[in-house]
Amino acid sequence: MTLDIVQLYGQIEAMAGDLKSRQADYILRLSSALDTLKSAALNQDRLKQKIEKAKATWLVAGLKENIDIHKAASALPDDFVAVASDGSHVDVDRHQSARLFLLNIGLVQLQYGSKADALLLSIPSLYFGDEQLSLRSQDGRQVLLEGPLLGIKRSVEECRYLADRVCEIPGGLPVVALVDGSLIMWGLVGQRYEDFVVEQLLIEGFLKQLDRFAGQNEKNKTAVASYISFPRSTDVVNSLRLHVCPYDPVDCDKYCKGKFEGRECDRVGGLLDRALFSEFLSHGERSAVFFSSSTIIEKYGAHQVCFFYVKLDEEVARVEVPLWVADDQSLLDLVHAVVLDQSRKGFGYPVALSEAHEQAVVSGADRERFWSMVERALNEDNIRIQHSLKQRSKRVRWI
Amino acid sequence: MDLGLKVAEVVETSSSEFLAQCYELDGAPALGSMVRTKGKDCEIYGIVCASATHSVEPGRRIMARGQGAQSETDVFKANPQLAKLLCSDFRALVVGHGRGRSMYQYLPPSPASIYAFVYTCKSEEVRDFTKSLNFLSLLIDTRLPVATDEVIAAFLRLASQTQQEPQDFLVKAGKDLAWLLSNDIRRLDSILKRLRNDREE
Repeated sequence: MTLDIVQLYGQIEAMAGDLKSRQADYILRLSSALDTLKSAALNQDRLKQKIEKAKATWLVAGLKENIDIHKAASALPDDFVAVASDGSHVDVDRHQSARLFLLNIGLVQLQYGSKADALLLSIPSLYFGDEQLSLRSQDGRQVLLEGPLLGIKRSVEECRYLADRVCEIPGGLPVVALVDGSLIMWGLVGQRYEDFVVEQLLIEGFLKQLDRFAGQNEKNKTAVASYISFPRSTDVVNSLRLHVCPYDPVDCDKYCKGKFEGRECDRVGGLLDRALFSEFLSHGERSAVFFSSSTIIEKYGAHQVCFFYVKLDEEVARVEVPLWVADDQSLLDLVHAVVLDQSRKGFGYPVALSEAHEQAVVSGADRERFWSMVERALNEDNIRIQHSLKQRSKRVRWI
Repeated sequence: MDLGLKVAEVVETSSSEFLAQCYELDGAPALGSMVRTKGKDCEIYGIVCASATHSVEPGRRIMARGQGAQSETDVFKANPQLAKLLCSDFRALVVGHGRGRSMYQYLPPSPASIYAFVYTCKSEEVRDFTKSLNFLSLLIDTRLPVATDEVIAAFLRLASQTQQEPQDFLVKAGKDLAWLLSNDIRRLDSILKRLRNDREE
């Protein structure tokens, strides 16, 4: 049956009316947040200490620079390379004829300047067999790679292929490597994954690839960054909440347990960081660099994740970089300038990332073709193919 | 006129025409020019009847990028991925085939081969092929993506440049067209006018 739009219409109207009624309050809170940002800048050290001692219920941004910094982009180098990767996957499907998953990595290298050139690659990899379809510990525990874990595995592979490509770039060219999404493996935060899963995917997986980017700086100025379009994060706004909190040290559980409104900090709450910086930054400017306080960052070591916001023509994006990039002013400036340039060339989204996405995408027709190939191969080898009856009922729509 | 250059590969083929993808962007031979490719056991001759440059992937729309650029070259330099995302191709109408030294102005037994290289014809090839214009009836009776009369006129203008006596060639072509289009004077006049402009130049 199709969606009953008539039933929905009234509910949608009610939602729009509710949002409209909250608009005036939202504007007040945004204005208050901007004022708070300016006053926080005047008491930078106090805020830093307050953040360090706080027991807050939300993620709070650590301050790496003065909170009110807003910086225009530097000039781009004459010759440089932007590399990006993205991926998609066909997950394990228990209704299908064979147990496998497919990763499709899109890789794009764009060289600008005197030797402008482009490389666009689409790299499919098929994983099958118990060893490839799971993570195994040395003491015999096993976790299947499917669902969210498969997404994390894909992120690691995107990073690995990106690092492979960066290592191939000849010396003498500044390089910015971009991935879509976050450098923080949010999928591993709060989940009760066994330690060997975090070890294999994060420590020995993702972070080892970040090591390779850092190592490239002996040959080329190389930075790696992740790009988040339309970010929903509130780390910096939460720092402002700490600034206005009357308690020191801040302890949300102790003083405000069970409360969702009426707190002193609510006058700057309910805002996203992008809203704040959309007002605060001018076009092309970046914000201060902040530290992420996600618990999983403890495992990142030298790749501790930092971030800044950059105001583009039509949105504010969040850019995350490892600490070794944030500590190097020239690398930080390079990332800022390249992200801005890439976004302009990509009509609002970094063109290298959008082309990597195009190389990675697996359409519905591609999936059908893929499974047909799998079944044909199994047929040719006289392997008995079974489908679930649920799968069959989806293929053949009957009355 | 480019002579005998490898410019494309056949990517679609049928008995009466083939589609060839060019190696270079905007690298399609001129409208009306003769090209040569390979069939199963013969050379196949075609006349370029339409060409286009477009996105490699259907559904991806090309966006203007040059507002701040000094030149079109700068657009490609600033966006190096464009050369990999765009392609040029052309359609050629099959007008004959050749085996050894013999040329035949009727359709070959089999279509052009997929991935066959496509070459622009040398002047002497065009001259040899156009000793007779019997194949003009193929052009006249075919529905093409581009107005057929334009293709016919373009072909005759280009072919005349390979002849020792270009004017004589065009006069003879005009007479052949008059015979084929004797019951469509308007169309005949339209084609002849396009030839006439070339001669006056």
